[in-house]
Amino acid sequence: MSNADAIRILSRLPDKEFVDREVEVGKVCALTQTGPGAQSRGSVITALLLGAPRVGKTEILRKSFDRLFNKSGEVIPIYYALRRSCLDPEKFARDYFAQFLAQFVAFRRNDPGLISVADEALSVIARGAPPEDYPWARSMVDSFTWASQAEDPSRLMRFALSAPLAACAHAGLTPLLLIDNWHLVAGSELHTEFLRALAENGASGQASAAYVLSSLRRTMTELIPAGEELFDRLEMIRVEQMSEEHLETLVRRRAELLGVEISDSTIELMTRQLNCDAFYTRAILDGAASRGSSLKTFIEFERLYTAEVLSGRIGAYLNAVLRDVAPEPRAGRAVLEALSLVIAAGSRVPIEAVTERIAEHTSDGEALLARMHSRELLEISYGFVNASSDPVLSDYVRARFRSEIAGAPRPAAGEELLGEKLKHSYSLMMSRYNRAIQSQLVELLSRFDFQNVPASLFDQIAYDKLYRGMSRIQVRRALDDEEKRVRLPQIVLVHDVGAGEQPGVSWRLFAATGFEGGIYTEGNEVLWLVALINSKEPLDVETLGRIDQPLEAAERAQRAKSGLAQQAVRWYISKEGFSALATERLSRLNAYLSTYTHLDLIQDYLTKLALGGEARPASEFELVIPIEDEAELIAARTAEQIARAADFDQQAINQIKTALIEACINVTEHSDSPDRKIHQRFAIDDDKLIITVSNKGKPFGRANGQSTPSVAAPPAKGARGRGLQIIRALMDEVEFERTDDGARLVMTKYLKRPGSQ
Amino acid sequence: MSAAEIRARLIEDAAVIYPGPYLNQLRGESIESQCQEFLASGVRRIVINFEETELINSIGVSILLGVIESVNHAQGALMLSNLNASNRELFEMLGLMSHVEMVDTEESALLKLGAQMEQVANRRPTAI
Repeated sequence: MSNADAIRILSRLPDKEFVDREVEVGKVCALTQTGPGAQSRGSVITALLLGAPRVGKTEILRKSFDRLFNKSGEVIPIYYALRRSCLDPEKFARDYFAQFLAQFVAFRRNDPGLISVADEALSVIARGAPPEDYPWARSMVDSFTWASQAEDPSRLMRFALSAPLAACAHAGLTPLLLIDNWHLVAGSELHTEFLRALAENGASGQASAAYVLSSLRRTMTELIPAGEELFDRLEMIRVEQMSEEHLETLVRRRAELLGVEISDSTIELMTRQLNCDAFYTRAILDGAASRGSSLKTFIEFERLYTAEVLSGRIGAYLNAVLRDVAPEPRAGRAVLEALSLVIAAGSRVPIEAVTERIAEHTSDGEALLARMHSRELLEISYGFVNASSDPVLSDYVRARFRSEIAGAPRPAAGEELLGEKLKHSYSLMMSRYNRAIQSQLVELLSRFDFQNVPASLFDQIAYDKLYRGMSRIQVRRALDDEEKRVRLPQIVLVHDVGAGEQPGVSWRLFAATGFEGGIYTEGNEVLWLVALINSKEPLDVETLGRIDQPLEAAERAQRAKSGLAQQAVRWYISKEGFSALATERLSRLNAYLSTYTHLDLIQDYLTKLALGGEARPASEFELVIPIEDEAELIAARTAEQIARAADFDQQAINQIKTALIEACINVTEHSDSPDRKIHQRFAIDDDKLIITVSNKGKPFGRANGQSTPSVAAPPAKGARGRGLQIIRALMDEVEFERTDDGARLVMTKYLKRPGSQ
Repeated sequence: MSAAEIRARLIEDAAVIYPGPYLNQLRGESIESQCQEFLASGVRRIVINFEETELINSIGVSILLGVIESVNHAQGALMLSNLNASNRELFEMLGLMSHVEMVDTEESALLKLGAQMEQVANRRPTAI
């Protein structure tokens, strides 16, 4: 646990759950750095923290505040979140000044608890200041009080906005002002005053501060027009949507923390269905924890999702967003109507069509749509309105529209949304799988660069003849010795030329253009037409006919565009292979035929060529066993199967099993694993098996400082530590590594020991 | 924790113990208590037959060392038999060879133990 995590002041998430945002926090905290590695843009820095709603901007500011506060250095962080209730100039000035003063006093006292006195009278806040600051703080409060009596709101705002600079100059500190929800100043007097403060910041040799303004990204140009001089000095910190990998980490950690049982497939579904949105994800997990339900099955997840969207945390949040955009009930109806229209359309809708639809409920439809655009409820572009890409918003809108506007009768039991989501969940998972394969293929085609690869990888019949019954590792070895080769072209462009589906089969087509022969002439230009087919059965001739039609059209289009002279190469990749008739027909066309397995093998082969023989592991397996009696036997059996597939002899297999058992016992005996599980990964490479055994909690083995008794030491009853001795003796390489949350032992066994014949 | 079931049998005045497929702490402790019972009932020749034993872990080995000590302390004799190559390698690595004799089969172990016990009995002074 880091120090910052030890004292959480404003941040709402522990560091463990603050995933994928360290870079942004680092950028914010570095804005006021001095010395080597500091920003080189002078001392006056204004940064905009921009991102979609719910992407985590506020937490980045809060976490940055905590880091700098805990550091107690020369930079004093001041956090202020604008609120609709405090946009009145006088209210804002009082609130801003009070918040700043409380945070300043808390920082000087190194007492985060004092931040909460901001709601007290200003004189009370000032009283908390250390003796050396008190006279000055008192005088600031008096000045503010006089200014507020002058009934000049602009002057009062200026005083409040300049107070942090004056205070920090007095204390010899550099202020970093973290302003949250800055988009709320749009259209108000505050906007003018903020711009003035930012423009005057550091001017004429005055003291300067760094500002980080967090804002909705679509309001940015409205808030700081590109023509403003300030615009040129802006630093942009963009906060992107969390990656699937990081979101998965977040889900696992939070589920573990909340004690919510969850399965891998539910995590995948959740990631897809919630569009990698960390806010929605937390809402679902918190909902599961508070309802005491698990998330191990699709129906458990979809039930909870439906409940959360209709009447839980997510529903409450979206209700609030809609109310914020349209506080009046009639305008609220207009919002729902507009959203429902563009979501149901499934494509862009002319803006006039939307304003006409909502005209009955609002007098200024365009202004309302503009506000919705700012909040990313929809997107306005060149006179058209598009639906938001947020799938949760779509579900919420459809459900609310159905029940509140269309007046659909409520089912006697259950919810329509639940049924819809369950039907959708399977295809969602499949589409994800298809997309992954498609990305793999496109990436692979982009790597085609005149390599010579084994011909059997493009000829399913030859492959079956040569390698049927062999394990993948055996095939990989045999491919090196295959004589017949296919010389790949160098692919320059890959176009997606369409997709199709029918029950049990879906396909996507690509046109890849490039050169063969190494000379970039028209004569050497080639076109590869690639069909990627996901079918439950071997591809039949009828389906092949349907796939060929668009493929031929794509060929004609490419030829017309590029004047291609050569015959196009056809490459069909079918997950389950091809029927006899389809094979015969494609053979007549001299088409290449592969399966998904071949795709993997081609990828491995190209990687191996690129790395000069070093390839990624041919196969990787993962196993998680509980820490309980004799569970290590399951690990040993698994290792046996894997080692056998990798051609290890029986003696080596036994050594691997014994070493693995010792590793598991070591974890059991020496760790304090909170999840009571042992995680194992088996990676087979061309010449070795690498087994990684890891746990969470207290490190085990060497990582725990445990000594290994010498081989010569006399054995005695009860003596422990022989485990490591055994592991080291039986495996070729053994390494202990500490991890963030535990330790891992990496053991390698070579097919032949290095140096041996 | 209850002790694991292991097989054992008496052949005349010798005992043979079969640890089963996996010698771990549970089965080691069962062997230990079975041996104590045999020794208490006067059996002094004990063979541990590893024919069915595919895997042995370090805790099982530690307990086995305790068993060897107990048998020696009770003036008995113990032999290990039918070890596969991997288990033999493990015992060699951990230095068990200097503490206990290993033979190929249960029969040879019983024969050898019988001969050893006779020699010991012959060396004992006869009471007058």
